[in-house]
Amino acid sequence: MNLRIVIANLFVKLISVYREKTTMFFTLAFPVILILVFGTIFMSQDNVNYHLNVQDLDQSDSSAEAIETLGQNGKFKVTMVDPAVSAVQYVKDNQVNLVLVIPQGFETALLLRTDHNDLTATVTVTNVFDPSSASVPTKIEILNGVIAGVNQEMSGVPPFIKSVEKSIFTRKYRFIEFFIPGIIAMAVMTLSLFGTVNLNTELRQKGIIRKLSTTPITRSEWILSDILYQFILAVISTIVMLLVSYAVFEVNLHINAWLPVFILLNVCAFVGIGMILTRFVREAESAAAAANAISFPMMFLSGSFFPIELMPGFLQTIAKILPLYYVNEGLRAAMIFEDNMAALCDAAVIGAFAAVVLILGVTITKWKEDK
Amino acid sequence: MTKETEHVIEVEKLTKRYGELRAVNGISFNVRKGEVFALLGPNGAGKTTTVEIINTIRTPTSGKVRLLGMDVTKQKHGIVRRIGVLPQGFSSFDRLTVKETLQYYARLFSHKNTDIDGLIALVNLTDKTKELYKNLSGGLQQRLGIAIALVNEPEVVFLDEPTTGLDPRARREVWDVLQGLKQKGTTVFLTTHYMEEAELLADTVAIIAKGKITAMGSPGELIEGNANFLLLKLQFADERAFKIVQQLGFEPIHDNHNKLKIKVAHTDDVQKILNAIRDAGMPLVGLDVRKPNLEEVYLKLTGETCGEDSAGERSAE
Repeated sequence: MNLRIVIANLFVKLISVYREKTTMFFTLAFPVILILVFGTIFMSQDNVNYHLNVQDLDQSDSSAEAIETLGQNGKFKVTMVDPAVSAVQYVKDNQVNLVLVIPQGFETALLLRTDHNDLTATVTVTNVFDPSSASVPTKIEILNGVIAGVNQEMSGVPPFIKSVEKSIFTRKYRFIEFFIPGIIAMAVMTLSLFGTVNLNTELRQKGIIRKLSTTPITRSEWILSDILYQFILAVISTIVMLLVSYAVFEVNLHINAWLPVFILLNVCAFVGIGMILTRFVREAESAAAAANAISFPMMFLSGSFFPIELMPGFLQTIAKILPLYYVNEGLRAAMIFEDNMAALCDAAVIGAFAAVVLILGVTITKWKEDK
Repeated sequence: MTKETEHVIEVEKLTKRYGELRAVNGISFNVRKGEVFALLGPNGAGKTTTVEIINTIRTPTSGKVRLLGMDVTKQKHGIVRRIGVLPQGFSSFDRLTVKETLQYYARLFSHKNTDIDGLIALVNLTDKTKELYKNLSGGLQQRLGIAIALVNEPEVVFLDEPTTGLDPRARREVWDVLQGLKQKGTTVFLTTHYMEEAELLADTVAIIAKGKITAMGSPGELIEGNANFLLLKLQFADERAFKIVQQLGFEPIHDNHNKLKIKVAHTDDVQKILNAIRDAGMPLVGLDVRKPNLEEVYLKLTGETCGEDSAGERSAE
């Protein structure tokens, strides 16, 4: 292994990408755009606030007080509906998905129950809804919770079962903090896989690999320079992603030695896969398609964007055989939970995988042209 | 002088098959140290396969090839440090300058003392030192390719069709560089399908067709040995000349602009034809008698033309 040759190759790759500023910009911009878009979406979910339309047919002080209580719940932003219109027509005409109708006689029934202790006095509120809307079940569930609470309060008997929340972690983490390590893993995978495949097929098609085969450079030196090049790009990309995350979302993530370790292992694994792909897929267009076929399922199945627990059981099993899953889990163990043992286990799995594909990549990469 | 120092390349019964196709079919030849050896043949004749086996890019199916005394199939690492290669359709890194490209290749060979500026001057690229490769014209890119092939001060330089696709001006620029190498005594293995190029540059020419070498020798030897005739060209204003020459027992060929091309055995035949034309009272517009060139030898030996490929020409500056 001649380090001068490795450094010479590294210089060529870095100077080439530096002079292609558009490529460099979009390479760095893509994961940042993902962070901004998904981060904004999921941050607002952490403080979710539903629109609730209420039609008060009773027009009494008691009904007004009940509506005010709903607003104070923090989950609803209440909009009043004119009592003169049909609630069904209102839902259809105004593209709203739910109108809570408080019936006439609400205050009368309430007074009978509270002042005269008439247990037969009840009131029925109606939820007029559009069944095609995905958020309606959640809204109705919250409303039912509120109604159950009111009924419990009015019964004058303390509840038998009470519940409290206790997290296994010392601090609460937000979805964005779960999301950022996944995006880092995904971005490094994309950079390494596509970078290796694109570079090698382009150089082969242009005949540069053929020229290089008549020089003393070895396959190991070529692949090592590729790994170093992809690692430098991955580190730059990660720094940009973290800066944006800290600046925009004020994330609370731990930066420790595991971060570069997982970036390096991720790079090694996907440079290895890229080398194997390039050996079998010779045209640049086919190679990019093959890289897409590998990276897209990996992105969505390995838990980069959402916890794999949300997926069906068989997909969870598949996720656990994907290398990116262990990068995601390892980065989260290190950056969120500071769990060194879990990070070590994940690093061992991805490290073993990287070693196998790299050895395979070096072994099957061919300089000679015999077709 | 030992055999090794005399013959830097020894090829014996070299064969390369691609499935049923025999691209190279049992060829044998030697290349002496310091000579320019040209492998001449049309597209698909087996030139590139042969040169790429010798310079270790491809592996042979059978036969023996020794380069600088080493077996090309077993001693690749020893060989590549001592040779320079300009592969067919050479290309380099688009976003490196001329100087950076040469520095890169010099580092690959771990050559600390390569005279990069000297190499740039040798191929007349001094005013393009800071130009990116992608901004160079085809001719300049080829000249840079030749400079790259020389960064390790090679003992043998392989140039695979160095002027294919270049326009005449760019081609002559490359020839100037190659003549400079020849004067320095560098051993050059050249493949080409240009007769003029082989005749101008080569000490030895091997004509290859359908994977076999059909003739080999210096351009002069090939012409003397394979073309013992003269070529007579006559230009007339009268169409009857064709019949008169035919009646004398010769086989004239119509050229452009009322020209007749006639192969004759010796100068007496020229006199005979001229006398017949004078007796017929026909005015002669033009006359040219010359020995055949390598192209005519090639045509005689192979029955094929050595045409330009279909890729079109790459422009000069």
